[in-house]
Amino acid sequence: MKNKSRYSGKIVLVTGASRGIGRAISFYFLNQGATVIGFDKGEPTISKTNYHHISVDIRDIKEVQKAFFQISKKFKTIDILINNAGVLTSQYAMIMPAEKAQEMVDTNLLGTFFVSREAAKIMSRAKYGRIINIGSMATSLEPKGDSIYAATKAAVATMANIMAKELSNFNITCNTLGITAFQTDMLNQFPKEKVDRIIKALPVPRIANEDDIFNVIDFFASDRSSYITAQTIFLGGIN
Amino acid sequence: MMTDKQIEKLIIEALIELNEGLPDEEKITITTQTELFGLNAQIDSLSLVSLIVNIESKISNELNYEISITDDRAMIRAESPFLNVQTLKNYILELFDEL
Repeated sequence: MKNKSRYSGKIVLVTGASRGIGRAISFYFLNQGATVIGFDKGEPTISKTNYHHISVDIRDIKEVQKAFFQISKKFKTIDILINNAGVLTSQYAMIMPAEKAQEMVDTNLLGTFFVSREAAKIMSRAKYGRIINIGSMATSLEPKGDSIYAATKAAVATMANIMAKELSNFNITCNTLGITAFQTDMLNQFPKEKVDRIIKALPVPRIANEDDIFNVIDFFASDRSSYITAQTIFLGGIN
Repeated sequence: MMTDKQIEKLIIEALIELNEGLPDEEKITITTQTELFGLNAQIDSLSLVSLIVNIESKISNELNYEISITDDRAMIRAESPFLNVQTLKNYILELFDEL
């Protein structure tokens, strides 16, 4: 049975909150008592009392800093950051459009870095924080077509491990959840046969469900996990 | 706009708060010449980052101004603005002049 008030009183920031996994994670926290701040380039798709949407392009440091100024004024702190925003273009390296490659680096890596460091500044004042990055099985499986995408996700995990060292004195942890295939718009970009082939090859050969993701988020986000940092947990038995 | 004395007070307050969190053997002497960066720095690099974040936070919370002390210009200057309390104060005043 779920603890309905697990996140009561917590302020949670979710990037890429309007769609896919980010939206599902936002609802999860909202349903368990948290106040959720959603970052997204697009319009809000969540209409709940404790949901606060900020339109922001995380690739733009000025926009990110402006958004955090608002957060600082209104909420004072952030307890949990879920770095979920990401873009994916799957294409063989030799024909990958340069602008798509750039977009993945700017959003998945630099955007995550900008948000993490501004969140860390706020968290450091409160001497508490949980930074959780949504990673990918692609970093381990290294599928054809995902050279840049997998590289950005691997870079994010490395970044988290280093930030974990820098931020440990402030009781801020940084961890990564490597998710497997999950039914989203992003997954729909792949040919079904490719997805099926990947899933079949997993130690636990099935698509991830929401609760698989929430379970690991709960672990990383727990107050009891202050000694768990610089870790990546993959779903589905990947290592 | 902020005065010279107000900025200095803010930096000193942030240093006192930093000092409170340091073990006895690492506590520093706080003056306007307290060295923050470089060969003779009295604090380590992570403490300097923490100090700067705290100063930015104080400027935001107490004065309602949002400035970024660690922008690109600060990093590429021949003489670092983080050398001591005095140079840091002068740099923050410059940032305020540009607001």
